[in-house]
Amino acid sequence: MVTAIRYHVSVAYFFAKLAVQRQLEYPLFLVSWFLMIPLQYISGVWVLKLMVEQFQALAGWTFPQLAFLYGLGLLSHGLSVIFFIQTWHIDNMVIRGDFDRMLLRPMNVFFQFVVNYVNFIGIIDLIPGFLIFFYGCAQVGFEWTLVNVLKLAAVVIGGMFIRASICTIMGSAAFWTKRSGSLISLTLATMERTTMYPLSVYPKVIQLALTFILPIGFISFYPATDFIGQEDGFTLPVGLAIWTPIVGIVTFAVSHFIFQSGLKRYESAGS
Amino acid sequence: MSAYYYFFKMRILTTLAYRFEVFTAVASNAVMLLATVFLWKAAYRGIGSVQEVSQHQMIVYAILSVVMGAVLSVNVQDDMYYRVREGHIATDFIKPVQLLGMFLAEDLGTTVSALVNRAVPLILLASILFTPPLPVSLTAFLLFVPSLMLSFLLLWLMGAIVGMISFWVLELGNLGIVKDAIVRILSGSLIPIWFFPDWMGTVSAYLPFQYMYQTPLSIYIGKITHSQAGTALAIQAAWIAVLAFIAYAVWQRAKRVTLIQGG
Repeated sequence: MVTAIRYHVSVAYFFAKLAVQRQLEYPLFLVSWFLMIPLQYISGVWVLKLMVEQFQALAGWTFPQLAFLYGLGLLSHGLSVIFFIQTWHIDNMVIRGDFDRMLLRPMNVFFQFVVNYVNFIGIIDLIPGFLIFFYGCAQVGFEWTLVNVLKLAAVVIGGMFIRASICTIMGSAAFWTKRSGSLISLTLATMERTTMYPLSVYPKVIQLALTFILPIGFISFYPATDFIGQEDGFTLPVGLAIWTPIVGIVTFAVSHFIFQSGLKRYESAGS
Repeated sequence: MSAYYYFFKMRILTTLAYRFEVFTAVASNAVMLLATVFLWKAAYRGIGSVQEVSQHQMIVYAILSVVMGAVLSVNVQDDMYYRVREGHIATDFIKPVQLLGMFLAEDLGTTVSALVNRAVPLILLASILFTPPLPVSLTAFLLFVPSLMLSFLLLWLMGAIVGMISFWVLELGNLGIVKDAIVRILSGSLIPIWFFPDWMGTVSAYLPFQYMYQTPLSIYIGKITHSQAGTALAIQAAWIAVLAFIAYAVWQRAKRVTLIQGG
């Protein structure tokens, strides 16, 4: 058991090392992303600020609270961009026959798929996330107790798994249809729009759907209401923040199952 | 002329060929539509009007803005980048057509097909879920149409100029996305400029961006009067002249750079 885990970790480590080295080959590309990503997110939060200034509050949320929510969402987004960006490109991997190689290796394909790439550049997504989040924390008076820090870590990692699982499930459509690119853009657009504003902006039906069908609400909205103490939307037993890692694990298991059943349909394409 | 018409027609046919892509693209736009309108509704909760714009006007503005974004598709910068990078540009220059004309014809083709397969479903959806996005008056609508066309040209010229940069750098990276992000904020497509702090509004008046979205949309919802609309149309036309001149000048140089690179 221990040797098996150690073996898997070492494989993951070598994949990560290779991926980072590959990306450092193009430093200029890195710089251009460095300009781009922060611009996008800072302007996003700035638009919220403008709206709150004109309208006092947004569905009962003040600007610091909105910044906290937005920042929290960006943190798990950043992590998923670093570790799970390959879940956005399953269709390319199906068309190019990338799974051939993985199928030949004596190791679980889903594991290989997960650790296959580390998008080092994704760190740039994290920086504005941290800036906005810490700003929000300072403004809403977030208490940095040990319990809160542990909860925060669980929420951010859980949120990353929810995001990755949803993308894997949608991307796995490519095993059947050969294309899922536009489906992924749709999913990403939906996740962006539904994690940056409070869910309570939307009508009840959409809130329910984003809680029980596509559990996006657990990425940032429910934990944020818990941390800030906003009474909004649903109340679940044992603190809303605790649910995020649980939902993360469940959705990840579901995505594993769907990926595996898709893989059975995989017919190595091309020449 | 018939050559350009052919490019225009082909683009319509190819965009219609991929049904599933069309469906998911419309679904993406629909998500944007829902998110934006619900956001404005939440903002206006318990508030009559802000900056002399009522909730109804703002919702029509938001719906139309999403529809415009879906329809005015400008691919020229990506097309140009792709053709330069893959080397197709060399054979393109041999073709007996003006290349910029070809790109324009293709983008017009995409836009016309988007009017059918994107604008219609989005407007239907918005009418069912929220309110039919009707113009404030017939005159406003008649002024909106030319303004919208000028907006298309402005967006297209901006895309063409950014696309031409690929002749020099070969790797455009995400310059296109940077441009799109700037346009989204400064054009008023996400949030109207009248919500900006005063100094930014002043600066914005001297930049071409707000004439790409905000001008036609303001005319449509009646935020600006008819005489102001006339002035706005003139400013749009003036910016088109400026950008067309820049595009032409850059294009002449770009052609020379390509020749130097050779086969």
